[in-house]
Amino acid sequence: MTMPEPVTLTIDGREVTVPAGTLVVDAAAALNIEIPVFCSHPKLDPVACCRMCLVEIEGPRGPMLQTACSVPVANGMVVRTDTDQVKATQEANLAFLLLNHPLDCPICDKGGECPLQDQTMRFGPGISQLVEPKRRKKKHYLISDTIVLDQERCVICWRCIRYLQEWEDKPQLALFERGGETIIDVQDGKPVDAKTGGNIIDICPVGALTNRVARFAFRPWEIERTPSICNHCSIGCNLRLDTRTHTLRRVVGRENMQVNDQWICDKGRFANAWVSSEDRLTMPLLRKGEQLVPVSWQEALQYVADRLRSIKRQHGPDAVGGIGSAKLSNESNYLLQRFMRQIVGTNNIDHRDGGDVAALPTGLPALADIMKPQYGPNPQVDTVLLFGIDPSEELPILDLHLKRAVRRGGVKLVIAHPRKVELTRYGGPYLGYRPGSEATLLNGLVKAALAAGGKDNAKQPAPKVTDEDLAQICGVDPADVKAAAELIAGSERTLILYGPMAARGAHGPAIRDGLGNLALVTGNAQRLAYAGLDANSQGCRDMGILPDRLPGHAALDDQEAKQRLHRLWGGDLPDAPGKTYSQMLDASGDDIKALFIMGANPATERSAWAENLGKLDLLVVQELFLTETAAQADVVLPALSWAEADGTFTNLERRVQRAPRALRDPDTKAAPDWMILDHLANRLGVNWPYADERGITNEIAQAIPFYAGLTWSALGDQGIQWDASAVPQQPDYRPVAQPARPGERRAFALVTGTALYDGGGMFYRTEQMRNMAYNGIALLNPDDAAALAVSDGATLTVRNDRGELALTARLNDTVQPGTVWIPESGNPPVGDLLDGSGAEAVDIARQETAQETVQEAVSQGE
Amino acid sequence: MNRVELQNMAQAETERQNAFRCRLLCCASTPCLSSGSTAVSEAMKQALTDGNLDAEVEVVATGCMGPCSRGPLVTVKMPGQEDVVYEKVTPEVAKEIVAKHVTQSKPVSENVLPADMPFFVKQKKVVLANSGQIDPERLEDYVARGGYAALAHALREMTPEEVCATLTKSGLRGRGGAGYPTGIKWDLVRKSEGDKKYVVANGDEGDPGAYMDRTMMESDPHRLLEGMAIAGYAVGADQGYLYVRGEYPIAAQRLQRAIRAAERRGLLGSRVLESNFNFRIDVRIGAGAFVCGEETALMASIMGRRGQPVPRPPYPSERGLWGKPTLINNVETYGSIAPIILNGPEWFSGIGTEKSKGTKIFALAGNIDTTGLIEVPMGITLREIVYDIANGIPDGYAFKAAQTGGPSGGCIPSQFLDTPVDYESLGALGSIMGSGGLVVMDERSCMADVAKYFIEFCMDESCGKCVPCRVGTVQMHRLLERITDGSATFEDLETLEELCVLVRDTSLCGLGQNAPNPVISTLRYFREEYEAHIKERRCPAGACEMNRIPVQELNTNSRVYSQNGAQAEPAQA
Repeated sequence: MTMPEPVTLTIDGREVTVPAGTLVVDAAAALNIEIPVFCSHPKLDPVACCRMCLVEIEGPRGPMLQTACSVPVANGMVVRTDTDQVKATQEANLAFLLLNHPLDCPICDKGGECPLQDQTMRFGPGISQLVEPKRRKKKHYLISDTIVLDQERCVICWRCIRYLQEWEDKPQLALFERGGETIIDVQDGKPVDAKTGGNIIDICPVGALTNRVARFAFRPWEIERTPSICNHCSIGCNLRLDTRTHTLRRVVGRENMQVNDQWICDKGRFANAWVSSEDRLTMPLLRKGEQLVPVSWQEALQYVADRLRSIKRQHGPDAVGGIGSAKLSNESNYLLQRFMRQIVGTNNIDHRDGGDVAALPTGLPALADIMKPQYGPNPQVDTVLLFGIDPSEELPILDLHLKRAVRRGGVKLVIAHPRKVELTRYGGPYLGYRPGSEATLLNGLVKAALAAGGKDNAKQPAPKVTDEDLAQICGVDPADVKAAAELIAGSERTLILYGPMAARGAHGPAIRDGLGNLALVTGNAQRLAYAGLDANSQGCRDMGILPDRLPGHAALDDQEAKQRLHRLWGGDLPDAPGKTYSQMLDASGDDIKALFIMGANPATERSAWAENLGKLDLLVVQELFLTETAAQADVVLPALSWAEADGTFTNLERRVQRAPRALRDPDTKAAPDWMILDHLANRLGVNWPYADERGITNEIAQAIPFYAGLTWSALGDQGIQWDASAVPQQPDYRPVAQPARPGERRAFALVTGTALYDGGGMFYRTEQMRNMAYNGIALLNPDDAAALAVSDGATLTVRNDRGELALTARLNDTVQPGTVWIPESGNPPVGDLLDGSGAEAVDIARQETAQETVQEAVSQGE
Repeated sequence: MNRVELQNMAQAETERQNAFRCRLLCCASTPCLSSGSTAVSEAMKQALTDGNLDAEVEVVATGCMGPCSRGPLVTVKMPGQEDVVYEKVTPEVAKEIVAKHVTQSKPVSENVLPADMPFFVKQKKVVLANSGQIDPERLEDYVARGGYAALAHALREMTPEEVCATLTKSGLRGRGGAGYPTGIKWDLVRKSEGDKKYVVANGDEGDPGAYMDRTMMESDPHRLLEGMAIAGYAVGADQGYLYVRGEYPIAAQRLQRAIRAAERRGLLGSRVLESNFNFRIDVRIGAGAFVCGEETALMASIMGRRGQPVPRPPYPSERGLWGKPTLINNVETYGSIAPIILNGPEWFSGIGTEKSKGTKIFALAGNIDTTGLIEVPMGITLREIVYDIANGIPDGYAFKAAQTGGPSGGCIPSQFLDTPVDYESLGALGSIMGSGGLVVMDERSCMADVAKYFIEFCMDESCGKCVPCRVGTVQMHRLLERITDGSATFEDLETLEELCVLVRDTSLCGLGQNAPNPVISTLRYFREEYEAHIKERRCPAGACEMNRIPVQELNTNSRVYSQNGAQAEPAQA
């Protein structure tokens, strides 16, 4: 595809050359000429309804008023934005808008950053001849749990409608009535539930749509704005933290065309009340008797140092374990593994979804590759295979990019997931496999891809798998497998993406290898990616928060890496591989005597782990809140969050981005992670050379070759992607064994996974969102529910050999018949039903409520 | 069906009709139906049965005959004799017609309309040639009068280029109002790249008092279908949509039946007339929005979206329905196609004026003796239409103005009565040809009040998409209300004029751009009437009730209004 010829035109007597297809309004912007707009938005299709941008364009019949937002440039075009006629129309349009717009700016959240205000001051008439009573409409009512609509303030620019249509593909807002009575409202009374719906607040040019969570909590001229990144998922959306008086007041999206365009999801936007929550820990706590009591830092740290020293002496360094967190920065995690390896002397260091997961080291090639089909000109991806990953729940901005790529870029989707996830609505082959049958399915895909011709590496013997296997073991239609494989084999560039749901447990390595084989035989080896789900999943791996990898994905026996670390740290490194996250927790109180947990909450994952934690000689928890795990600790060290400390995070496409400190409560005694670890090291006799986080970032740049040069000044506010070729990963073909018929003999195959609104600690503290939480529920296919005589909201008993949970039933037809989806959330822990095989099954029964029992008694009495 | 079978069908039908001694054509168009033509035809049939005349006399339900205010209308057709048209036929008169005219050949003179009446003589029927002559529900009747011969001819003898060239040569211009040359539009769509193309007929006639399209669809549906099929052949489309106004149930029903009949005979559908040309037509029914007559809003409505216009370009010829090249013409335009193909472009361009060729249908309404539907050659004067065809203004009142083009049009005052009616001349007077509504007003009409009526119409019908139309029309209406109730000041008149220019120049679609036209044109010719309302608080025509008082100015720059907008005590002068 060649770039079109640039076009030269004249605006207000000045020449400008822009690419063909540019709109006049953007060409003017290139000359720093501001054409006022309301409906026009660079990320939305033109609609030309506000008429604010009318300019004079020379035509065959003299100058004509035309909308700069919808007319593309042409060679020799002559545009005037400064004539009396243009001014008159701008004044008239502003007068028209203000006629019915309530002048409640003093109590409007938008006041101070309102395009209508700004343009009235800049382009408005100053005085209006039209003095009329204003039209009354519905004021400040909820269109979702988090968005408030004021129809009187609305100027009907359609931006919200168009965002939901063009980006979310969920037309949940629409126009009603007509003429002067026109209003914007929800469709059929159903709330806006698009997962990125909050973006319509950012793009509203007036205060018609406001943020319910941040409502009345800020005035735009009083807040301090800090560019940051989101702490929720691994996309690493760029956002801005607005703070005042040491509290976080609001979060809005920030543009980064390599990552999130300018959109963020509702969790990132709204679920942030925890930052300035009353529940935050402000003092170190030490267990004295049964009680955790506030103590000084000196006392707490000395206690930890003494106990660690004595346990190490008594049981050896491998009796101590460290657990990091993919929610924390590279700096925090790097220091924790340095602490464990250098000072404790063990490789018992891991994080959730770390060593337990069959991951790949380099993540996505680039998010921008998925955005490119719509922005052009060189599409890097034409097909995407999503294997055991549901972007709509797990990575909402990836979901947004994919929808756009499908609808605007013609990208095709192939989806393999036990649940009929939302993206399956774009057609394309859907493989709803049974959990545990992934290896067979992948063998089937490889076989069909080879049969379809494959690519250069297609000289492999086809795996032995039959159509009957696919139908009986996987529960998928062999024809769909064939169609999927042919689509992938026939495409130029397929991105293959899998996530923790597929990579966890005993089947993980087989799935990783099976996907590797598929990528190999279809020529997509460079585009096979594992996506961790937490904000710093990739960074944790890069930093070596893994029991078998040093920083920079180096093996434990990599001499070059060891020498490099020796130069930085001095001393020797332990050689034996450590225990993984789940191994450490399983062995707690047994082989493991002491655990240092930083920002993780394993007590909510499995009841058995919660019990094990109680058997430890020493449990140190470094946390923001007194979590279930912290409540069991001997020492709780209060930490600062990502908004209050500085640090870098690495997103799922290896982009290292900095989240600078945006605020800090002056009253808290909580300290940044690095400082706590630094003091602890000091008390254990090692002096670390750090003055602040920047020093650690600089050390990381020396410890990891491919982080070289990634200093704060280099990262800027858009981040830098590290070079994937630094970690070669050309997979070789590895035959994958078919498992025996998977699973236990029980009625329902168990599907778990992340839900966006998970009800976790970072979520439920935003009160306004509590209704949305996926907490304590089990989702059933409506047919199955009917067979069980279960209605929505009924209480279920879900059990297998390992445990039993009481959950609330929700009916949902994305759940396949014969399966049950229990999203991961703290309470009660679905982990109690898991054995790590990835092929668990459960029985489900309806619990009779007291009311039902009474009713039955009554009906029997009749 | 092929060409020969088509000719055979025409022959058979002609023979069948000629076998009757007499045929009674009874108008079954909406105006006559509402004045009781159903009872009339029932009475005639009963009288025939009673007189045992069923076999030799046929009663036919036809389309419109023209002078609608004189309905129900009945035409008596006897071979070898002039047709006789009866007006105001009641069931009693109907029995009398059967008893006297049919059986004894003695016309019932009281109800006969004279054959040399200017209403008939001054007209030239091209598009309406079959209207009132055939049974719209009988395909054979249309075929007997040359129906589908033009389609057969085009498919067999002409290339698509030739069809477009013929239309360009004929000088036919779009009858929806804007007057874009039809041949050029067809050629644009023909040349547009597209794997799929569409043909759309705009039957969403919305101007108050206009019913040209309804009449054509009710009276001669097959003519429209044939025109669309020829268009489909010419531009390379295989799908047509007929967008019918929701308030026209009879038209929609007759069109649907006509489509089924034509499909059954192979005149539409797959392999039309045994050629390689496929063409289907579906009817889409509007939901009561005037703006859906605007082509982009109409397409949105066809696609099931909210009926709102989108900016042009791109024009429908490039990107129309579902992003594909689309030809949109008015119903009347399609009605002109078949005669042009059959009689040749020279014949058509021989009618009318230099730049406006052919004939135009008008719906006459207002203060005139005979209201109804007429088809006249372009270039006829307004005076001929008002005083000859419509037989002047009743009760001796003087002509004041004629309003053409509906809410988008303007007024033509008496000094321009001798202006020829064509696109250019009407445009020069500040009005438009429009789709063909023509309302005549006498001296009792107040022009400010008329302007208010049309602005109110546009205000109600504004879709609300663009700001000037959504807000500006409401403001204009309020100002006109003040003028007509006596509470306006000269400043208001100034503001009104400013608003006219702003709404005209800045609105998104034709509805908003043309909404101020009635105000602009009445101000142009009748400014003194507006001024009398303000200065003297008097309505010269006596139509407005001047029961409000203007709110006095407190200082030169601003005025104070009470909250309800008007009713305020006058301040002390």
